[in-house]
Amino acid sequence: MNKLVIVTGASRGLGLAICQQLLQAGYTVVALARTQTEALIQLQQAGLHFVAADLSELDKLPMLCSALIKQFGRPYALINNAAVGYDGVLATMHNSEINGLLNLNIQAPILLSKYLLRPMLLNQCGRIVNISSIIARTGFNGLSVYAASKAALEGFSKSLAREVGKAGITVNCVAPGYMQTDMTNSLQGNKLDSIKRRSPLGRLATPDDAAAAVLYLLSEQALAVTGTTLTVDAGSTA
Amino acid sequence: MELEQQIREALTKVALIADCTMVETINNNTVLLQSGLDSLGFAMLVAQLEEDLGIDPFSQMQIAVYPRTFGDFISIYRQALAQES
Repeated sequence: MNKLVIVTGASRGLGLAICQQLLQAGYTVVALARTQTEALIQLQQAGLHFVAADLSELDKLPMLCSALIKQFGRPYALINNAAVGYDGVLATMHNSEINGLLNLNIQAPILLSKYLLRPMLLNQCGRIVNISSIIARTGFNGLSVYAASKAALEGFSKSLAREVGKAGITVNCVAPGYMQTDMTNSLQGNKLDSIKRRSPLGRLATPDDAAAAVLYLLSEQALAVTGTTLTVDAGSTA
Repeated sequence: MELEQQIREALTKVALIADCTMVETINNNTVLLQSGLDSLGFAMLVAQLEEDLGIDPFSQMQIAVYPRTFGDFISIYRQALAQES
């Protein structure tokens, strides 16, 4: 298989799991992250291409996309996974944090989609998967801005799916539930235990569970799936 | 190759891919929205020209500009290429 997939936020957690599964499935993977981790270095030995990029620098995104296309060719898919989730009540959240979060979680995926969609249009084929969160629909105390960004991403995905469907491009979201990753470190202990207890499957979804959903959306079998959100939460929101 | 010719060739290529039926004659006064290419087709034209010419004048501009005619469209690319060199 010679399909190129670009994954953002690839250095750890879900992004890393997506890269691992993509490589195993034979995709050509370009991993974007601010810094290169040991895990990414190991994946490079398996053929992964790493490109250092700070996606919060929005002005640089057009040039970044152009450079990626020049270096690696037209992408088959883009996985918008990079995100931050500051935990804190809105009333005291600093405006710079609100701006930073919205830039990275919503503006960056929109701009990356804009520029990386173009070669997909020329190919009349492509996939965009945006990583949302169950919090976009359920809400969570202390994550209002994060929730807003994920809900925005879901709305964006639905409309974009309508816009580019006739060019053979699908746009979907994967909404993981609480996973044991660096991002949920602040939920350790009682909260995570309580989420596990309430889950129908009695466990948390793992990054590998969510990554498998991303791979499905990239597959030929998902050709008729667009404009939807695939929830992977071990049943927490059932 | 002359710029206008390159744009015309890209237009023909993209119209074929996008399955758009173009009007018979396209000259500088042809209104883009009446040329036969739909909005997604124009996005493809900009993408194709970015690959061919290495520039996207619309992203480089500080303000949003939407050319009305084919002549306006060529003029925007001509200016952008002049600024590049």
